[in-house]
Amino acid sequence: MTQILVSARRFGVYRNTIDTLARVPALRVALLAAIPLGWIAVANLAPLVQMVAISFQDRYPLPPGEPGQWTLRHYAAFFERPHYLAAFTRSFVFATLATVLTLLVMFPVAYYLSKVAPRNWRIRLLLLVIAPFWISEIVRSFAWILMLANNGAVNSFLALLGFPGLPLDLLYNNISLTIGVLYLTSLYMLLPLYAALEKIDDSALEAASDLGASPFKRLWRIVLPLSRDGIVGGCTLVFLLVIGLYAMPQLLGGSGNTLFASTIGQVFARAGNSWPLGSAFSMILIGVALAYVGLFAILFRSRGPGRSG
Amino acid sequence: MNRIPTAALPIWFWLFVAYLFLPLVVMAAMGFRDSNFIAFPIQQWTTGWYRSVLADEEILSALWVSAQVAVYSTTVAIAVGLPMSFVFARTRGPMRALMIAAIVLPAFLPVIVSAIAIRMFLGHLGLETGIAAISFGHAIGSVPFVVIMILTRLNAMSSNLADAARNLGADDVIVVTRIVLPFLAPALFGAMMFCLLLSFEDFVRSFFLGGVDPTFPVLLFARLRFGFDPGLAAISTIVLIASTALGLFAERHIRRRNMGR
Repeated sequence: MTQILVSARRFGVYRNTIDTLARVPALRVALLAAIPLGWIAVANLAPLVQMVAISFQDRYPLPPGEPGQWTLRHYAAFFERPHYLAAFTRSFVFATLATVLTLLVMFPVAYYLSKVAPRNWRIRLLLLVIAPFWISEIVRSFAWILMLANNGAVNSFLALLGFPGLPLDLLYNNISLTIGVLYLTSLYMLLPLYAALEKIDDSALEAASDLGASPFKRLWRIVLPLSRDGIVGGCTLVFLLVIGLYAMPQLLGGSGNTLFASTIGQVFARAGNSWPLGSAFSMILIGVALAYVGLFAILFRSRGPGRSG
Repeated sequence: MNRIPTAALPIWFWLFVAYLFLPLVVMAAMGFRDSNFIAFPIQQWTTGWYRSVLADEEILSALWVSAQVAVYSTTVAIAVGLPMSFVFARTRGPMRALMIAAIVLPAFLPVIVSAIAIRMFLGHLGLETGIAAISFGHAIGSVPFVVIMILTRLNAMSSNLADAARNLGADDVIVVTRIVLPFLAPALFGAMMFCLLLSFEDFVRSFFLGGVDPTFPVLLFARLRFGFDPGLAAISTIVLIASTALGLFAERHIRRRNMGR
């Protein structure tokens, strides 16, 4: 390989190109940066910028020859129908609760994996927990449908035990949705928590124990403050994931409580003048969600080190 | 350590493991039910569903679409992500923060918004939905992860290696192909597997950017809305086992490579 590359230098064009690039760093950077910067512009920014523009358009796509008109009416439409506002609020409440629940469930799991489990087993146990996460949201929803349906696994197991009042209505409500969502979010919480907890020096915990700190006090004064970055990171990821959930709420959730992502999907699927309205709704969702998450991160991080110690 | 937490933590952990695996075991078992309907308990068993789904043209073609999309999007994501990490590693000052924000932006947008924005953008350019559009969408979602995975490895590389090679007369092409890329190989492999699996499991982007031919998750979604039969459990189980095996293989491979160095 090296031989080929060396002998390629015999060709003048090739050699001169490479030597020029080596002499002029700016040219080298420009050549290297062309693809990434082009990608950022075309793939990451342009669709979003266009969406912002469409959200302010009166109509889109425009009939040929007609000038576009700028308007705020699609943003106003959001506040005019209580139906939209309700779905929006429901999304934020649900995402917040799901985030808190995921944190409460996953913190002990992450703590066990990073601190308590036998050292030579930790990686294996971590892999065990990560393994089911290479599965589509749809397959996971389906698996939970099989568990929770009227003649599903849980109900028939309870029937076997002789429970009265069966079948229980476990599916198509907030409970089934929460169970399914936790299934989806737990890894996104686990990995940041694990990374943060793993860094905590065991001797800090031992020292606290030796000095007479109770387990609760150790958790509150040492483990939680030191894993703050992991908590903030995990919560941010999970919240943004849940707020954008589209398929699972349709498969596991009840029909009466749509979340806002589904509303956006429905608006776009509707015929007629739907792109500007859907774009405006998307902007509202992004804006409020990022502000919400940002505020959370700032509040949680801005405490001085004096208070955390 | 205090007695109560040490007893409670393993129990909590194993309960969580049960929560993860029980539905999957149930799903695998349902694929063996000898009936047209989904119900428990399973009285008669058959391997018929597992055999018949593998002859189902619609499912096979959806799997094929998914595989194509996975390969295309991964190729694009690596081709873009690799030079992007090089550029980012050399960026300094305020540009650095701006650039990282632009790079990770797609990972922070709700997927549905990103998918619809891409759909409108492609429509504006007059491009069709379909395999190419889905691949483009998946690549957009994957690039941030590729960059992060490669950067992590790149930061561990000392610049002495490249400098030594240059002093010995190597030109840039030789430095990149013989020093930098081999050093990045584990990260590149990891990023590749990650992109493949991420693309294969994606629903929302495939749903909004797809044309006539659905990817596997989109087909499964459509069928689930009509009703369930054990065949869906069977094919889901097959896909589940295949992708988990691939994920675990990648995980092992990367760890071995990293330790070997």
